[in-house]
Amino acid sequence: MRTSSMSASQTNTVLLREKQFFWFIVGAFLLLILSVFFAAGAGRAELTVVDLFQILFVCPGSSHECAIDAINHQIVWEIRLPRIMMAMITGAGLSICGAILQSVTRNPLADPYLFGISSGASLGAVIAMSIIANGVISVTFGAMLGGALSVVLMLVLAGKAATQVERLLLSGVAVSFMLSAFTSLILYYSSPEKAATLLFWMMGSFSNSQWHQLLLPSLFLIAAIILFTVYRRWIGAMQAGDESAQTLGIPVNQLRLFMLLVCAALTAVIVAHVGGIGFVGLMIPHIARFIVGAQIHRMIAMSLFLGGSFMIWVDVIARSLLSNQVLPVGIVTSAVGSLFFFIILKRRTKIIA
Amino acid sequence: MDVSLQKDLMTVESLSWRVQDKSILNNVSFSVCPTEFVGIIGPNGAGKSSLLRCLYGVNVPTEGEVRIADKNILEYSRQALAQKIAVVLQEPPSRFELSVNDVIAMGLTPQKSLLSFDNHLDKQKVIEASRQVDLLDKLHQSFNSLSGGEKQRAMIARAIVQDTHVLILDEPTNHLDIRHQLEVLTLAKSLQVTVICSMHDLNLAATFCDRLILLDQGSIIAEGSPESVLTEANLNRVFDIKAKVDTHPFTQKLRITFDLGEHIDAD
Repeated sequence: MRTSSMSASQTNTVLLREKQFFWFIVGAFLLLILSVFFAAGAGRAELTVVDLFQILFVCPGSSHECAIDAINHQIVWEIRLPRIMMAMITGAGLSICGAILQSVTRNPLADPYLFGISSGASLGAVIAMSIIANGVISVTFGAMLGGALSVVLMLVLAGKAATQVERLLLSGVAVSFMLSAFTSLILYYSSPEKAATLLFWMMGSFSNSQWHQLLLPSLFLIAAIILFTVYRRWIGAMQAGDESAQTLGIPVNQLRLFMLLVCAALTAVIVAHVGGIGFVGLMIPHIARFIVGAQIHRMIAMSLFLGGSFMIWVDVIARSLLSNQVLPVGIVTSAVGSLFFFIILKRRTKIIA
Repeated sequence: MDVSLQKDLMTVESLSWRVQDKSILNNVSFSVCPTEFVGIIGPNGAGKSSLLRCLYGVNVPTEGEVRIADKNILEYSRQALAQKIAVVLQEPPSRFELSVNDVIAMGLTPQKSLLSFDNHLDKQKVIEASRQVDLLDKLHQSFNSLSGGEKQRAMIARAIVQDTHVLILDEPTNHLDIRHQLEVLTLAKSLQVTVICSMHDLNLAATFCDRLILLDQGSIIAEGSPESVLTEANLNRVFDIKAKVDTHPFTQKLRITFDLGEHIDAD
C-alpha cells in the first residue's frame, strides 16, 4: 500500500478537471450519435449517406414524398432503428448498473449479472419458452419474474449478512449457479430444436426488436438514471469505505440494498428483452473511470454514452461479420470486449510503471 | 471552523459495550470541554477504537449513553450527528481514482440535501480547507497518489469542510514518519475545535493533549492532565513496561524513556 503510493506520487497523476470533463462528455455524446448513423446505414441493403439523410430527416414519415426506395425506408425505420435503439438502451443500462454496483460494493469485479439476475432471467425465459406457451410476451414476462426471483433468493439466503458486502456478493454467486443448474436441466431434457432456440436467446440478440418493445426498457433506464443522479453524492462518498460514509451521515446498508434493487430491476428488464449479454456492465465502467475518474456523475454520463455506443457497434459486427447469419451478440461482446480490455490494461500498466 | 459554544460539551455516561457476551467497554464515563484536545491511550485491544466508534455513533452502547449538547447521540438523525462530529479514520481507503478535491468535497455531504448541487460557496469551502492543510496545489491530483501524511491531511480537510464542533481521530499518525506525525497533530490542534484522538506514541500524547484518558481492558485506569496520567506506576500497570518519566529540559514537556533491561514487550 505504502510502496504503491510512493511510486504513484512520483508520476504526479493529475486528474481531469471539470472543463476537460465537459469536452470528454461532448465527445462521447457525438460518438453515440455517429454510431447511430453508421449503424443505420450499415447492413446488407447498401445506403448512401444522402439516402440515409433523406430517410431520417427529409421524409421520416413515409417514402412517397422523396425519391427513395420504399423498402430501404422500411428497413431503416422498421428494422434497423428499433434494433439500434434497443442496443443503445441495453449497453447504456448495463453499463450504468455496473458503474453503480462497483461503487457501492467497492468491488471492481461487480457487474449487473453478479447477483444471479442473468441466470434467474434465463431460467424464467427458458421455462416460459419450453413449458408454458411460446409467445414473445410470456418470454419477457418469464425472464422478469426469474430476475426478480434471483434477487429475492439472494436476499433471503444472505439474511442478516446482507449488510456485509462480501457475503452479499457470495450469496449472489451461489444463487447464480443454483439457477443455472435448473436452466441446464431443462435444456438437457428439451428437444434439440428447442434447445438451439433457447441457447440462441440466452446468448443475446437484438434481431427481433420492435418499437413497442422499447417502452419498458427505456422507462426503467430513465428511472434508474434519475435515481442514480439523485443519490450520486451518497454513492460517491461510499467509495471511501462504509464506516467513513457512515460518519458522513449516510445510511450505508439501506442505500446499498436500494441501489442493488434498482440495478436488478433494470437488468432484469433488459435481459428479458434481449437475453444475456455479459461483460459490458463490467468493462464499460472501468473504461469510463479510466477516462473521466471515479466521481459518480461523471461515471454515469460517460458509462451511458460509451455503453450505448459500444453496444451499437457490437450489434453491427454481430450482423455483418458472417454473411447470411447473425451472430449472438453475447459472443461478440465477450470477444471484442475482452480484447479491448486487454489493450486498456496493457496501456494502463505502462503508465503506472 | 466554528468555535463551539460552552454548552456543546460531549459527555460519556457509564458507557458499556458488549459483543455477544464479551465485554469490550465497562462503565466508561468522562466529559470533554469545548476546544479541548483529549488523547485516548492504552495498549492494543484496550478498547480505544471501540470507544471512539461509540462516540461517533457506529457502535451502539449496550448500556449508558453518549451525549452532545445534552442530547443522546442516538436521538440525532444520521445527518444531524454528522453535522456535529467529523471523523478521520486510521487508513483512508479508496480503490478508485478520486481526486483530492473529490475526497475533501465529501465533507459537504451532511450539509447538502440530495437534490442540491455544489454552488460557488461550497467550492470555495473546499479550496479554503485544502489551503489550510497545505494541499491546494494537489487538489486535482489523484488521492491515491498522495503520501500517507498527505492523505491524512486531506481527510482532516474533509473534516474541516464538514464544519463540526467535534473532531474524532482514530490513530491518525499510524504508519507516518515523525515529521508527518507532528504535522498531522499540529494541524489537528490548530483547528480550535474539540479533538478526541486515540494514539500510541506516549511522548506525542504528552506533547499535544490537554487531557489524557488511559484505557485498559475496556475500563478507564486514569484520567486527567498528562502529568497525572503518565506516571511510572500507571505505565507499568497498563503496558507492563518500566519507564522513566521526567520533564524534557528543552520543551518542558513530559518525557517518557523506556527501560529495555527487564521487560521487552511485543507491543
